[in-house]
Amino acid sequence: MHELTWGLPVILYLFLGGMGAGAGAVSGSIFLRSGGGDLAGSSFRFARWGAMLAPVLVIIGTGMIVFELGSFQAGNYFRFINLFLTINLSPMSIGSWVLALFILVSLAYAYTFINRNAHPGDELQKLRKMLAWAMVPLGVGVALYTGILLGAMPARPFWNSPILAMLFLVSALSTGVAGILLVRALFGRKQVISKESFEHHSYILGSSDMLLIGLEILVIFLFVMYAHLTIGNVEAAVSVIMGGELTTLFWLGFVVLGLLLPAAIEMKYVMPTLLYQKEYSIPRTMEIVICALVLVGGFMLRYIVVIAGQVTGPTGI
Amino acid sequence: MSESKPQVSRRDFLKKMASGSAVAATATAAPGMAISAARPKRYAMVIDTRRCIGCQACSVACKTENDVPLGETRSWVEYIEKGEFPNVRRSFLPRLCNQCEKPQCVAVCPTGATYKRQEDGIVVVDSDVCIGCKYCIQACPYGMRYINPKTGTADKCDFCLHRVQNGIVPSCVNTCQGRARIFGDLNDPDSEVSKLIATNATTVLRPEMGTEPMVYYIDADHADQRDAAKQGIYIRIETNRRQKERV
Repeated sequence: MHELTWGLPVILYLFLGGMGAGAGAVSGSIFLRSGGGDLAGSSFRFARWGAMLAPVLVIIGTGMIVFELGSFQAGNYFRFINLFLTINLSPMSIGSWVLALFILVSLAYAYTFINRNAHPGDELQKLRKMLAWAMVPLGVGVALYTGILLGAMPARPFWNSPILAMLFLVSALSTGVAGILLVRALFGRKQVISKESFEHHSYILGSSDMLLIGLEILVIFLFVMYAHLTIGNVEAAVSVIMGGELTTLFWLGFVVLGLLLPAAIEMKYVMPTLLYQKEYSIPRTMEIVICALVLVGGFMLRYIVVIAGQVTGPTGI
Repeated sequence: MSESKPQVSRRDFLKKMASGSAVAATATAAPGMAISAARPKRYAMVIDTRRCIGCQACSVACKTENDVPLGETRSWVEYIEKGEFPNVRRSFLPRLCNQCEKPQCVAVCPTGATYKRQEDGIVVVDSDVCIGCKYCIQACPYGMRYINPKTGTADKCDFCLHRVQNGIVPSCVNTCQGRARIFGDLNDPDSEVSKLIATNATTVLRPEMGTEPMVYYIDADHADQRDAAKQGIYIRIETNRRQKERV
């Protein structure tokens, strides 16, 4: 019988935190790329969706790990403050600081968008721009650190590789984009200013998502290839997805359902525009389906990685 | 059995350091003797598995001494059964925290609650600082740590620090019927552990992890279920703790 030291709360944190960090970084980047959002249009509203999502998701995720703390469960509810009385080279220490900073900055960033009448060039624009500049590195930092945190331990051969942080980063960005696309598909159609620019932005997001999923497939390919070629402790650990108990979940639940399927659907819609400059149009249901698949894939990835790392260990004693 | 030695307090040590006697002591030490000038003491344990009869006296003594909660163990004996009749072997492997020279748990602790003591190299947990994030539990290649349900903080064997500080050996060593567990200071070339390590072929657990354990084994069976499976040998390992499998 294996014990799971880190269970569902940690898995959900890695997923929600990554998604929120990704949404925040993507929002900041979209906002800045349109000249700091000075050009009126839906890129501003895009950034707005991301800005609203980021703090909510990350705060929910962070709440989950606080509840999971042993000290919290033993009744020392504020013991986690100790994280902020010191800083050392532990990935969790650095990560906590980055995470706290991200939460503060993303809250301020969301505040600049909170007003329904927020528009490019209003009185908060200067602050918004400044915060957007901070959102990108902080979002990338939070997404990266979740992978570094797991990767820092030789005792967990499944996690102990530099590619894991990269995988988590790409996955966080892709789930972040999918999150923005999803809320936009669900609630954004009502405020369409011009159908053309709306579709254009759908295309920008959809193609970015396709690119990110493509990258994720590459990173996973490297991970699996390495797993196939290695020996010893690492081989024993990765065998859990190469024929072991998590094989089906990994290959069907994550690779097929969370990567290949959304990538294939996205290609069908993106490619004509990308190659032949045809007009981009995607049915709203399809957009929702793709986003849901990407989000399920993102969750699956965290679930499989966290479980697999804990049910495997170094061999020999 | 190592004899109890008068304790060197930190203040005494600093005074000695200031007067340069520690440096002198290092300089006059026999060449090749690994004597650390950084630590006045380097506590270690040698476990001679040839003398272990698997009676679990150490496990019981440890639980009593340290008030270890039900279902958890700081120190235990693993039973390793191998082979098929008539070619069989049963061996015992006493386990405890390795007090590593390069502790993974310390490397990942975000609050500094767990640290390696400068004065004797024992790895301890400050339960007033620990937040119970379980990072160290994940990072320990030996599965030595657990969360104490009373305090909600990480807990593990600490060589019975409260005893060792007062010049007496850890409880498991004190109680061991067969004298399989020997405790002492590696900085002292005349200590029993130093002599045993010098005159025996010793191994440490999972050396590939690079943790440089301070617990040395003589004639230990490093068998693992997975290794045995490859060789087609029947093997069963009883760990006598809640987590029934070695990970």
